[in-house]
Amino acid sequence: METLGDLSRPILMGILLGGLYALIGLGLSMVFGVMKLINVAHGDLMIFSAYFAYALMTTWGIDPILSLTMGIPLWFVLGFAIQKYMMSRAFGISMEAPLIIAFGISLILQSLAQIIWSPYSRGLQAPYALGYISLGITTVPRTYLLSFVAALVVMLLLREFLRRSYLGKAIVAASQDKRGAELVGINTGRVYAFAFAIAMATAAIAGVFFGLTFPFTPTSGFGFLVVAFGVVIIGGLGSMLGTFIGGIVLGLTQTLSGHFLGGSVQMLFVYLIVFVVLAVRPQGIFGR
Amino acid sequence: MPAVLVAVLAVFPIIGIPRAWLLYLFLFFVYLTMANMWNLLAGYTGLTFLGPAALIGLAGYTLVIVTWNDLPFYLGIIGGGAVAAAFAGLIAIPTFRMRGIYFAIGTLVLPEVLRNVFYIWKPIPGDFIGGGAGYIIKGIGGLSLTEFYWLALAIGIVSIFVMRIVLRSKLGLGLAAVRDNDRAAASSGVNVFALKLYAFIIAAFLIGAAGAIFYIYQGSIAPVSAFNIRWLMIALLATVIGGIRTEEGPLVGAAIVVFLHFLLARYGELSLLIQGVILVIIMLLVPEGIVGLVRRKTRNYQSLSQLGARR
Repeated sequence: METLGDLSRPILMGILLGGLYALIGLGLSMVFGVMKLINVAHGDLMIFSAYFAYALMTTWGIDPILSLTMGIPLWFVLGFAIQKYMMSRAFGISMEAPLIIAFGISLILQSLAQIIWSPYSRGLQAPYALGYISLGITTVPRTYLLSFVAALVVMLLLREFLRRSYLGKAIVAASQDKRGAELVGINTGRVYAFAFAIAMATAAIAGVFFGLTFPFTPTSGFGFLVVAFGVVIIGGLGSMLGTFIGGIVLGLTQTLSGHFLGGSVQMLFVYLIVFVVLAVRPQGIFGR
Repeated sequence: MPAVLVAVLAVFPIIGIPRAWLLYLFLFFVYLTMANMWNLLAGYTGLTFLGPAALIGLAGYTLVIVTWNDLPFYLGIIGGGAVAAAFAGLIAIPTFRMRGIYFAIGTLVLPEVLRNVFYIWKPIPGDFIGGGAGYIIKGIGGLSLTEFYWLALAIGIVSIFVMRIVLRSKLGLGLAAVRDNDRAAASSGVNVFALKLYAFIIAAFLIGAAGAIFYIYQGSIAPVSAFNIRWLMIALLATVIGGIRTEEGPLVGAAIVVFLHFLLARYGELSLLIQGVILVIIMLLVPEGIVGLVRRKTRNYQSLSQLGARR
């Protein structure tokens, strides 16, 4: 029982962390599922949202979560514009063109963040996100619980949106069969732009909760792109539950390997798991 | 004519051209090698390989192991290439199972994994060395920029010849078939896995050797800079700006990347921003690159003039 008591904390932390990872992976999964594009700028767009909230917090003292009322619409428009004016053209050029353009965007965002906010590590603070909270058997940082709840809310909302609204159904239809969707009168170009915009809105949310949980630098995005990709690969496409489980698998991998083998190896194990799953089952464990 | 050009380039350090120029040319040849080999993989084989940093970092650390064991530095270059090639052969088995975009992401993860490995694993044990601090390269005390330049010139020329030979051989023909449609190629008797593997190993050897030469010049290596996405950016920028799937593309692209590198060096971070903007603009407006564009224009012109002549 002694070891179990020791383990309750890393396990609980891992599950909560998994929620945050799933939230990061959500937008990537959407773009990947609908447009078959790996948006390598996803991590950087997420970190840029954290910086945006940081700027509002330091200049006007706006609460990071409250600042999302500005962040979400802004990222939504940004995503719509990126898809409409860049990616839609790139799809017609070649297979690697959208990937290379996403790389360019990633580079631009990283250097912009470095110019504006310097390479030093920053963090978001809110009075309600400080300290620890007791969850019966053990205590966890408040930010972990906060991110987990936010991830649950965003996922449930997105699920209902995709199931019930016309636009949501159109997005699902376009991801399943582009030509078929066009035949029944869906404007796939527009649907793609909306899908990208929604993915960016979730990236904005993920960025703020990430910034509350961990310190970040302009280059933090890339490592979490790999994590987000791992979430998508383990969870498979088009499955909200799968994405959630994917996040928890990686979260647990990180906290448990950190617990048993020390903090320096925890990310190594996360990346290794992503690579192994890719090699063994590229379509994902819960994928179609 | 090419022989004369090579001879002129080779005597540059002897006739005493400015050090800065030698440095530009050194970087040009190192980048050219990487871009050429990236073009061979992404342009001619259909392997969108996003992990050149893994090969370069491994070669750099091989150089460390070789020179710290008091072996000559040129063994480090050959060993670096060999280790990179062996690594490529090893990861070919899992990564070739991944198709298209999955291969791209699978190889993007590799430098991340290796960077974490070299944070922990110390190939040469000791205090104050290895881990995040990295190593210096030993046994290169007697060398100057002149020798580094000749090494880079040699590897650059080798990479051009390798491209020419590979593309004009049966291997190149098979690779083109694999790139265009690997299933059709397989069904007409092309051994897809073997061909991809040959191209991958050849490219990995030269990328690794070029990386080792770079680290001989740099004089030190650390995980953050060795397994850095910057290497991918260099290969990608040079190939895309010059023209992917053209033989001359990397030549033009690598020259522009070196030029940008030094032109924008004093702007620091702004330099990366401008490179990103250039990458996006080139890809959107001239996806075939500068060489591709020039070729298209001249071809149009030629066919027009032929039309005129026929009349």
